[in-house]
Amino acid sequence: MTPDISLSCRDIERYLGEDESRVHALRGVSLDIAPGTVHAVVGPSGCGKSTLLYILGLLDSPDAGRVSIESESVSHLSDDELAHKRNRLIGFIFQFHFLMEDFTAQENVMIPMRKLGQLADAQMRDRAAELLGAVGLGDKLRRQSRHLSGGEQQRVAIARALANDPKVILADEPTGNLDTKNSERAFELLQNLVHDRGKALLLATHNKAIAEACDWIHEMKDGRIIASQPRDPRNAVSQVLITQ
Amino acid sequence: MTPPFYIALRFLSHRKRALLLSLSGVVFGVAFFICLQAQTRGFAEYFINSTLGSNGALVVGSRFEPRQTASIVPPKTSRTNVAHRQYFEGITNVNEIMRISRQFSNVVTCSPILRGTLSARSGFENATVDLYGIEPALHLQTTDLAHQVVDGNLDDFRNKPNSVVVGTRLAALLNVQVGDTVQLLSPGGQYRRFDVAALARSGVGPIDLTRIYCHARLAQILLRKPYAASMIIYKLHDVDRAPALAQHFETLFQHNATSWQEREESTLQLFRTLQISAAITVSLVILLAGFGIFNVLTMTVLSKIKEIAILRSMGYRRIDISAIFLWQGALVATLGSLIGCAMGAVLTWGVSKIPIHLRGLLSTDYFVVAWDWRHYLWATLLAMISVFIASYVPARRAAGLPPVVTLRGSSI
Repeated sequence: MTPDISLSCRDIERYLGEDESRVHALRGVSLDIAPGTVHAVVGPSGCGKSTLLYILGLLDSPDAGRVSIESESVSHLSDDELAHKRNRLIGFIFQFHFLMEDFTAQENVMIPMRKLGQLADAQMRDRAAELLGAVGLGDKLRRQSRHLSGGEQQRVAIARALANDPKVILADEPTGNLDTKNSERAFELLQNLVHDRGKALLLATHNKAIAEACDWIHEMKDGRIIASQPRDPRNAVSQVLITQ
Repeated sequence: MTPPFYIALRFLSHRKRALLLSLSGVVFGVAFFICLQAQTRGFAEYFINSTLGSNGALVVGSRFEPRQTASIVPPKTSRTNVAHRQYFEGITNVNEIMRISRQFSNVVTCSPILRGTLSARSGFENATVDLYGIEPALHLQTTDLAHQVVDGNLDDFRNKPNSVVVGTRLAALLNVQVGDTVQLLSPGGQYRRFDVAALARSGVGPIDLTRIYCHARLAQILLRKPYAASMIIYKLHDVDRAPALAQHFETLFQHNATSWQEREESTLQLFRTLQISAAITVSLVILLAGFGIFNVLTMTVLSKIKEIAILRSMGYRRIDISAIFLWQGALVATLGSLIGCAMGAVLTWGVSKIPIHLRGLLSTDYFVVAWDWRHYLWATLLAMISVFIASYVPARRAAGLPPVVTLRGSSI
């Protein structure tokens, strides 16, 4: 494992359900993601994309295998320590946006910052305004999240994922609920942020066009990564790809 | 402001109907608790103050001597001290006892009384009366008789040895007023006439119905007693220490001594029972309010499942999620208690203005209430505990929700 790897996992096994409905969701998945790269995980529904994302995002624990963030294993960490890692190092974007509906766009972006507690209130407001400005919502800071359109909500979710300047961004079908125009716009935004700010982005998607625009495409089937290929072969130098 | 508190505040303020429902339960529970306690405690305190003002906090009565010790060993449960006493009516060394007892720091003042039961007559009306032969100056220092006079003048009583002060209900029974004459029948069968100088209302029904005050010297003649006092009543600085002082006086003076707590035990128990009963009833209202909050918070948890999951994904710990719901409970309890205390005070004031014509154990024309900060403290504590328990279960449930299940939806 090289030090310039933001996120890595080795031999991840995960079972879901109980007894007869027990499913082997992930079968020995290994993956390395370097800073400044965009990775897409593609595959049919139920192949384990989301499960992999939640394990890499420290929201779920694998039954076997190891997850490392910035070359540090997180397998032994307590629930509270994992929560702190999530807050500081990981940004999530979900298909259904999942904004806090009682809060404005700006307040939604401030929620992870409040938890981290490193900025004063005024600084948090300024940073949230800056991030929302970057995603083109500078004029809708004080709008209640429920009064935003789907595309706007997704952009707020992107700004929120970047609130604590995380090393890793995990996106589960980030454009799944958006029309083509908004999909392209959201993806372009993410891609620029990753490349400009040196983030590592892993996204699960069914959108072929978006997957092909990523630096790496990992194809999953039945809980396994069956193929991994770079979009541009020149990127392969900075990637360490381990397949089973 | 901590992040959970901030989020709790926002959750609450955006669910106004639920907030109002939760708040109203706590507000009414706390207000009713305060108001009901003020009433039951008010009547109890009124009775205590009235009885202390009329009969003193401590009474030294008949002299006793230990009887000869029995040859048979009494059972362990028997009150051996009392069983072996022989009582002698009257206090012969009253001045000496009063002189010594005044040296006790808890004693404010004391007054000798010659007490006896007589028949009274006025016109065609007859009644059995409880005659108190008093030294006016001392008695007025020891009791609230001066404040109890509702008609007439105590100076007239002081200056005219042949006058009496009559309880208001007795005066009504005998149909006498200030300036009228009442006849008291001596044990020898002779009537003696007294002028009614004043009417007194103690507030305690049995006292007002039977009591007549006259000068001690005349009482001694009328009752044909060889001693000047049958009891001494005491005014104390700390009435709660009366039982200990009574015990001490018994040992010291070898006279029967009774504290007001012992004297009024049955009535005090009745008030205590009423107060506990009222407290239990109103506590149930507060518990019901807690149940309402439990429902509201449980519904909030269900409606906020996605938001809880997203908070967890953003790094909020389980304890933070619990805190969000516990804070909501705490805010409702605090706000509800504050409003409830204010409403309780207003209700109590309103109740104290309700006119009632009570002429039983107690005599009063208005509802009697007690203003006691402890009622507010207890109501608030009860509300806090009830709401905490009601919030704890939904808070735990929210904290235990696995975020992945919510986020995953149908995908694997």
